[in-house]
Amino acid sequence: MIDEICFSAALLEGAKEVFETMIFMDLEEPSEPDEQIEGDSFLGSITFTNSIEGCLAIRCSVPCAKNIAANMLGIDTPEEVNEEEVCDALGEVTNMVMGSVKSRIQTETGELLVSIPTVIHGQNLASSLGNRMSKVFVKVDAGDEEIIEFSFLYREGDK
Amino acid sequence: MAKSLMIVDDSATMRKIIMRTIRMSGLEFDRTEEAGNGVEALEKLNAAPVDIMLCDINMPEMSGTEVVRKVRELSSCSETKIIMVSTESSQDVMDSVMADGANGFIAKPFTPEKFQEKLSPYMN
Ligand SMILES: [Mg+2]
Repeated sequence: MIDEICFSAALLEGAKEVFETMIFMDLEEPSEPDEQIEGDSFLGSITFTNSIEGCLAIRCSVPCAKNIAANMLGIDTPEEVNEEEVCDALGEVTNMVMGSVKSRIQTETGELLVSIPTVIHGQNLASSLGNRMSKVFVKVDAGDEEIIEFSFLYREGDK
Repeated sequence: MAKSLMIVDDSATMRKIIMRTIRMSGLEFDRTEEAGNGVEALEKLNAAPVDIMLCDINMPEMSGTEVVRKVRELSSCSETKIIMVSTESSQDVMDSVMADGANGFIAKPFTPEKFQEKLSPYMN
């Protein structure tokens, strides 16, 4: 089984690559590691199976999700981005981060089969896939006092 | 010579990003079409073929690999160059989609330089 440090580095590097090239946002280590996402948030998730199975998720506050979508769409006013656009954008971010992480761990995990991303909006969101899951968690600072959480839940798969 | 382009991706955001990235790459098309799924893409291609098609792989209902196979059955699109634009990076998937008739591959995330490199051979 691959160690967690390898996944956590792949998760952070994969996320950074996607945010820098496609969203024009630099992700930094959080200045306050205990900071939490307050209020409503968006959660994008995508599942994978094969030698390992689990899910990758991205969670951020509503204003942060709107910033991400606005940057991707080339819109100057994030407050005008509607929920449908946020969900579409965040789904695509989740898909790309998964792709980016997958290419970094592929030599160890082999081919992973990936689902279509889903995005939900609400309070106290967290992804859970039951027992025996290992979890890698990375929190980053996205500027404007916004944090983004990336998580990678996995266990050994059927193959 | 004037060229036409179709972008097939289930994400409207991604279609916009691809459009913007192409503009940034300096490539110019006289006609651009968009499709949010394979069925829409095939309908539009039936009505008017394009020179270059950029196609996502990971799409609900009809996957990009299936779209490629269906486009290659259309005699009017035999000259259409198909470039896959996807997060899918496995060699197996790439080999099989190329065998089905795709002409190239651009990985997401991408840069304007990547589009310039992959599309310019088909721009003359
Ligand atoms: Mg897609």
